[in-house]
Amino acid sequence: MENREKVLQIKDLYITFNTFSGKVHAVRGVNFDLHKGETLAIVGESGSGKSVTNKTIMGILAKNANIEKGEILYNGKDLTKFNDKEFTKIRGSEISMIFQDPMSSLDPVMKIGKQITEAMLVKGNITKEEAKKKAIKLMGAVGIPHPEKRYEQYPFQFSGGMRQRIVIAIALACDPDILICDEPTTALDVTIQAQILDLIKEIQKERQISVIFITHDLGVVANMADRVAVMYAGKIVETGTVDEIFYDPKHPYTWSLLASMPDLDTDATDELLVIPGTPPNMLYPPKGDAFAPRNRYAMEIDFKEEPPMFRVSDTHYAATWLLHPSAPKIDMPDALKIRIEKQQERQVLQNETN
Amino acid sequence: MLRYIGQRLAAMAITLFLIISISFFVLHAMPGSIVGDDPMIPQEVRKAIEAKYHLDKPLPVQYGYFLKDFLSFEFGTSLKVQPRVPVFNIIAEKLPITLQLNIFSLILTVPLGITFGIIAALKKNTRIDHTISTLTIFFISVPSFVFAAVMQYYMAFKWDLVPILLSTEPTLTWTKFKSMILPILSLSFSGIAGITRYMRAELCDALNSEYMLLAKTKGLSQVQATVKHAIRNSFIPLANIIVPMFLGILGGSMVVENIFSIPGTGSLMVRSINALDHPLSIAVLFFYSLIGLISILLVDLSYGIIDPRIRIGGRK
Repeated sequence: MENREKVLQIKDLYITFNTFSGKVHAVRGVNFDLHKGETLAIVGESGSGKSVTNKTIMGILAKNANIEKGEILYNGKDLTKFNDKEFTKIRGSEISMIFQDPMSSLDPVMKIGKQITEAMLVKGNITKEEAKKKAIKLMGAVGIPHPEKRYEQYPFQFSGGMRQRIVIAIALACDPDILICDEPTTALDVTIQAQILDLIKEIQKERQISVIFITHDLGVVANMADRVAVMYAGKIVETGTVDEIFYDPKHPYTWSLLASMPDLDTDATDELLVIPGTPPNMLYPPKGDAFAPRNRYAMEIDFKEEPPMFRVSDTHYAATWLLHPSAPKIDMPDALKIRIEKQQERQVLQNETN
Repeated sequence: MLRYIGQRLAAMAITLFLIISISFFVLHAMPGSIVGDDPMIPQEVRKAIEAKYHLDKPLPVQYGYFLKDFLSFEFGTSLKVQPRVPVFNIIAEKLPITLQLNIFSLILTVPLGITFGIIAALKKNTRIDHTISTLTIFFISVPSFVFAAVMQYYMAFKWDLVPILLSTEPTLTWTKFKSMILPILSLSFSGIAGITRYMRAELCDALNSEYMLLAKTKGLSQVQATVKHAIRNSFIPLANIIVPMFLGILGGSMVVENIFSIPGTGSLMVRSINALDHPLSIAVLFFYSLIGLISILLVDLSYGIIDPRIRIGGRK
């Protein structure tokens, strides 16, 4: 995994927003790499800075945002230095994005076909007929029945799931290398969710594109991702492969997240953990570990100094003082341990029956 | 669709009936009599006149006569403003100048309002936007006749740039147009301000919409996305105010027409009310209401053409 080509590198990205009540520190030094053809899931609760990070990659931050420091390297160029004109060139054809709400992300008064071909025609070197052919093919590929007929219709004639398929088709229209999915299934009901996730997976495999998948749904992460980055209060607190995060989590926040989520094995006797308190107010970013006040394993140093990223394995890193050599040995909560064991058992069973 | 139009027309007829009924009673509730209290008129003549116009009967009976005439499209003749001339002819004679003024004013209002609105929205929260928005509120709040009087005083009387009153030439010549400039301007200000404010709000909404974000992330530049998606979308609700604006200008012209002594329907209305010329007043009122209702109907029908959600979605 490590020696694969890196298509996107984010280095120490720090973003603040100017608001009436002061400067909000939304993203505080985020580092991650995106490899070619992989799916990286970014999980975290609302306001943890997932979307802001990705909007920075697309260059669509709100006007009151400042990139304080850090860089985003794509093809050897630093995207944080790009102006809107330069961004326009790479948007769509190199990096594309799918949004949360398909109901509002399509122009209500423009025909579907035109919305798909629009960007192709703007990027040039394609005729109208070719664009139309390509769009109809794309619509077929994302699972729209009767694409020729649907091509001439308006968004209101489509259901929510169909609209999200169209949005995906639009995002793919100019053959991007990177696809950012910002909670693409949050606004959809569960059966449609599964269909859309399968579609994204399929497309990713076929086209060998890299996907950044933003979500707060851990079930989706387990289903979609190759690697996971867990964000809390504008920082990545733990990153690793899916197996590492789900079966061997190291950060207390990841523990709490996993232990608070019910799964198929959860029954009445199981304990679901609650994370006490609320996320910190990012107007006044806390000193030390941002999660410390809500962390029952917090040590004195957690309130004083920010933990660095400790290496667990080549792919697995976590920012918690618990991994420091001189820290007391603390294991994950028992409830979580039992759950992980159950899940692994089930996994084994499944593999056997397959 | 035809059924819908039929329903709307029926509703319109009921509305018109209510309007003329209410205006009949309101006008007849005004003090004074059309015969006047001139002591020189002999008692018999007074009686004869009152009998002729059914004024000696109780009000409900008069209303009955009025309705009977009205339903047979018998709008009656003017009593005092232009005695014995059918009111229909009077309105037809006064209408062209009013329409000319209003059409010129609309030609000025709509493009300017849209332009200012777009500029303000694109430059939102900058000095340009603040200037435009402040002026907008000023021009919406100050009534048109204030502008009319002020401009008449300065531009026409003090600086002698344009004539003070409307020229009486029957056709639209250059001199006549020059004398129409002030009334057109004073009729347009609030309209321009209204469209500007509306356009700014709609466009700001559209610019912050998700589809603009998608348009940008799929590779359109800010300008392309704004022109193709945001402005296009913000035009649709604009039809909502432009057509009734025509009406607003008709209403506003009552006072402005008097200031510039324009012989249009607005000043006709004021004169007929003052002269207790009830048939004429009701006819002018009826005319205004008809235009108003038709324009509202046109707005609703036009949505079926400009908005695909209604055009296609409404088809059963």
